[in-house]
Amino acid sequence: MNDTQLPRFQVFLQEQEGQPHQDVGSVHASDAEMALQNARDVFVRRPECTSLWVVPAEAIYSRTAEELAKEGGEKKEAGGEGAENPGLSGETEIYCVFSKAKSAGTQTLVGEVQATSPAEALGEGIARFAGGKAPFAWWVFPARLITRSQPQDIESMFLPALDKPFRLSTDFHTQTAMREIRDRKP
Amino acid sequence: MDMDQAEKQAFERYLLAMADDELILGHRNSEWCGHAPLLEEDIAFANIALDEIGHASTWYAILSEFTGKDPETHPDRLVYFRDASDFHSARLVELPNGDWAFSMLRQYLFDAYEMVKLRELERSRYLPLAGAAAKIRKEELYHYRHTSAWIKRLGLGTEESHRRLQNALAALWPYTRQLFTPVAGEDLVVSSGFGSPSEVVEIAWREQVVPLLEESGLQLGHLSNLVPDVSRYDGSRDQHTPHLKVLVTELQSVARLEPDSSW
Repeated sequence: MNDTQLPRFQVFLQEQEGQPHQDVGSVHASDAEMALQNARDVFVRRPECTSLWVVPAEAIYSRTAEELAKEGGEKKEAGGEGAENPGLSGETEIYCVFSKAKSAGTQTLVGEVQATSPAEALGEGIARFAGGKAPFAWWVFPARLITRSQPQDIESMFLPALDKPFRLSTDFHTQTAMREIRDRKP
Repeated sequence: MDMDQAEKQAFERYLLAMADDELILGHRNSEWCGHAPLLEEDIAFANIALDEIGHASTWYAILSEFTGKDPETHPDRLVYFRDASDFHSARLVELPNGDWAFSMLRQYLFDAYEMVKLRELERSRYLPLAGAAAKIRKEELYHYRHTSAWIKRLGLGTEESHRRLQNALAALWPYTRQLFTPVAGEDLVVSSGFGSPSEVVEIAWREQVVPLLEESGLQLGHLSNLVPDVSRYDGSRDQHTPHLKVLVTELQSVARLEPDSSW
């Protein structure tokens, strides 16, 4: 049987202006516009959102610190590039660089670099943004592959959630009810 | 408010028709929950269903205030303790869900209707209605964006998705006419400046939907000029499909078991 699953897109959410975009998960969709809409419905149940990005999951170049250390050793032996470069244009373009500090952390935008390949972008990103620490993992992808919500979308895509407190668990007073039930126990 | 009895009753009917349309369509859409073709769309369509029920709740509350009833409790009386025969919904929203193309096209056609009608109602002289219309229209813009994106993809997608959408259009189109048939006393609502004429809404609706449907590869052909078969039903909202009673019975079944319980 054929795989009928639609392509996967990674979703990045900015809670407030000035804050970095952060990975919140992924959605399947036929194309980027539908992915952006699905991302809104799946991940913006709460109103804290000013911007959403979706990026084809296959375009994300991902390396953990462990993989980087291993590849560094292999590269010395083979003297080769040793990394796949999906969607490589060969020309200099802007890449977004994300990292997360720990295994359980969240991939967070740390900056942008100019590079001709994901591997080069990652090297540049590490040099500029690691800041003496060793993040657990890195993601890089070309900025041109991002489909973004627009500032004028905020009003119809995100703000209506403000008036829907029933989407939040706190609206149902279950904690109070549970406490009362517990207190009633002999 | 300086209105005579006939004007008041006309405005009540006008609001009730709006509220009932949204409630019944929202309930129909909620039946897809857990059954939509994609997980993400299951969530998106359930969101839309909830939004429509939320809009209904707003219209019921405005109606309650207008008639001097408690806007907190009266909407529930209207939803859970009114007989199906007293609903003012249009037959379009009562129809069973059919396939995905049918449900999506119905939602699209209704979203377009709601969007253009709300644009008119933002200018209502009844200020609670004008304020709610302005607020709800913002959300409706997103519904329209979502459902119109689906219509294009179904219409221009595979041979099967196109065929199903074309069939849905043929089945749904005659039912859209009733959305633009004035409710009894609409002229009074219009002359008081509270609501807008159905004719104006219909023209704006056609300008919105016809190009999008054609762009989606659908054949409107004779449909665009179709005078629907009105021999079975008149344009009023007193006659319903047999499906409404089944839906309302299910919708009310739990509330009617314990009419005095609080939720």
